[in-house]
Amino acid sequence: MDYFVNVTLTGLTQGMIYSAFALALVLIWRSTRIVNFAQGSMAAATTFIALALIQAGQSYWVALVVALASGFVLGAIVERVIIRPVEGGPELNAVIVTLGLFVAIQASIAIIFGSSFQSFPTPFGVRGLEIGDSTIPLTPTSIYVIGSVLLVMALLVALFRFTRVGLAMRASAFSQEVARLLGVKVGGMLTLGWGLAAVVGSLSGLLIAGGTFVWPAYMDALIVFGFVAAIIGGLDSPVGAIVGGLILGLALSYVSGYAPRGSALVNISALVILIVVLLVRPGGLFSSATARRA
Amino acid sequence: MTTIAAATVLSTVAACGGSDDSGGGSGGGGGENEASDIGVTADTIRLGAHYPLTGVAAPGYSEIPTGVQAYFECLNQEGGIYDREIEFIFRDDAYNPTQTSQVTNELVLEDEIFAMMSGLGTPTHSAVLDFLNDEGVPDLFVSSGSLLWGDNPEEYPMSFGWQTDYMSEGKIIGEYIAENFPDAQVGLFLQDDDFGEDGEAGIRQYIDDQIVAAERYTPGNTNVGPQIAALQAAGADFVVGFNVPSYTALSQLTALQLGYDPQWFYSNVGSDPTLVGSLLNRFSEGQVSDAALLDGALTTGYLPTVDMTDNPWIQEFQRIWDECGGEGELTNYRVYGMAQAYTMAQALQAAGQNPTREGLVEAVEAVGSEWEGPVFAPFRYSEESHMGTSGMTIERIVGNGSEEVQPVRITDIGDAPIEEFDGEPATPPTNAIPDEEPYEG
Repeated sequence: MDYFVNVTLTGLTQGMIYSAFALALVLIWRSTRIVNFAQGSMAAATTFIALALIQAGQSYWVALVVALASGFVLGAIVERVIIRPVEGGPELNAVIVTLGLFVAIQASIAIIFGSSFQSFPTPFGVRGLEIGDSTIPLTPTSIYVIGSVLLVMALLVALFRFTRVGLAMRASAFSQEVARLLGVKVGGMLTLGWGLAAVVGSLSGLLIAGGTFVWPAYMDALIVFGFVAAIIGGLDSPVGAIVGGLILGLALSYVSGYAPRGSALVNISALVILIVVLLVRPGGLFSSATARRA
Repeated sequence: MTTIAAATVLSTVAACGGSDDSGGGSGGGGGENEASDIGVTADTIRLGAHYPLTGVAAPGYSEIPTGVQAYFECLNQEGGIYDREIEFIFRDDAYNPTQTSQVTNELVLEDEIFAMMSGLGTPTHSAVLDFLNDEGVPDLFVSSGSLLWGDNPEEYPMSFGWQTDYMSEGKIIGEYIAENFPDAQVGLFLQDDDFGEDGEAGIRQYIDDQIVAAERYTPGNTNVGPQIAALQAAGADFVVGFNVPSYTALSQLTALQLGYDPQWFYSNVGSDPTLVGSLLNRFSEGQVSDAALLDGALTTGYLPTVDMTDNPWIQEFQRIWDECGGEGELTNYRVYGMAQAYTMAQALQAAGQNPTREGLVEAVEAVGSEWEGPVFAPFRYSEESHMGTSGMTIERIVGNGSEEVQPVRITDIGDAPIEEFDGEPATPPTNAIPDEEPYEG
């Protein structure tokens, strides 16, 4: 029983991390209709900026704010300088450009910050909470992660649902021509969308890094899991991203914990789950895109 | 020019009591230096290696080539081997076997190395084992304790192991636990490849009935929560880890989350307290202080470590690092690289004045088991076995150092018995430059 609880809580924490990354993907998809493969290395870049600040003696919170701000700037610059020229062409062009960016940014991180394996601090503890005389694998850090992810999700839902900016962003992403005719400054909205997505991406990078180890490619494994989580959730829904991440985190933790040689089966299981979900609900669990596509 | 350099080597030899006709330029026939094989010119010998300089296996391991380089740098300043400078070229494979194949191709076909030395990693080096042997490139002193490099010289005549193999290490650990912790319920934390398998096979020879769980992790999957939780659930109060250093840190972090506190025993590969401490200390904030997490853990040793400042080898290696090394401190990984470079220098001396690839391999087979050096116990090299050293101490980690709890014991693969090692520790020759006679065959 204890073991089941341990495996479950490990899975939940891990799932929240996938959710954090999936949220960033959902945000950029909603605001620009592009799947951004460079998201992972953009997040890694701002995480390394934060790490450099912390190593220079700044507090975690200062580093967090700077990382989020530099994420916004990086996202906006990438959109204006790199994505803008290929926008409006075939959709595949932009996607391939983000793939190229992914490699280029990762290489730049290695050049600027070095490629060594380093620990990334967390403002909260890494010991499991003690309940009675037993310890459960839920640390203050994982509570911080869970809280932050839920807060960001709520903010995103509010932004898209209740604000004019959110409406304008959705309109620009959905149909640039129509939005433009209705007076929306589409260019600005796309830049804003990339900037915000990069902020969420940066936050996910920092949350993932906290209390564990980073190196320039540390997001690689999470990119795959984050994509799977986002697609399980429908790629369009912030709530879907959270649920997708949790499902994936739990499922992988059970596979790792209960299947023989489970650790080796984790990656393949993620893809099996993805295929099953897509076969049953091709648009993902929380998809609302079908109606709009018509 | 040649004569002057040769004279330097000769005087060095004389100073450490060598006879006049051994080593130096006068050995191996006394003729001119020739370009006797690929990668050998009259003035240079080119060696190559692959290491993970980036990625999850890089911490620690990426320091090994800097140790090798420092040793060769100092050796070159003293005249090299038979007046030839050693050129050491190493490339990054990120611990990814596909990249290992690629960089090894470059080393062999473009750089035209004479021999490979110290290629690091079991999964990585396995990928190039056939290639190196097919091409007839000597593949000396692989940086891995897998049995692959040494137990089948007929199939892989060019490859040689160096460090204690994981099976022998498992046996020595198993015997120690059986004698000193007969009531322990033992859990195994294993890398899911040859490294974990060989270690498990060795340890099970002695304490099969004490083992309550064996959990495997896949390198690259950094969530080891379910594995550590399973060891805890099985009631293991003594955990033996055959894992790389980053997974030592991950297993300690996960154990903290679970409130799990068994007696830890990390095999030699994953136990460097300085490295693991430096990975963990950032989380300190009053919770995890430096290496304290590993304090009291057990491990094994086959080489002196940097905390043994009284050890004459460590003193020599410290001097070499200060004079010829790069930035940073002398670390155990750099000591490892220097010790391998020392064995390589012995091999090249034994291969004679104008070495060939075949001659090098023959020399290691014929006289390698007689070489003395920083390694605690002798190598097992012969025509039948290309296994490296087999002896290990058991040590307890205290702070950033360790204290010996069991002296060197030696064994071999399979069901060979474990015996006490009765040899004397070797002392370093002058300037830590070996003085082996050329093997004439």
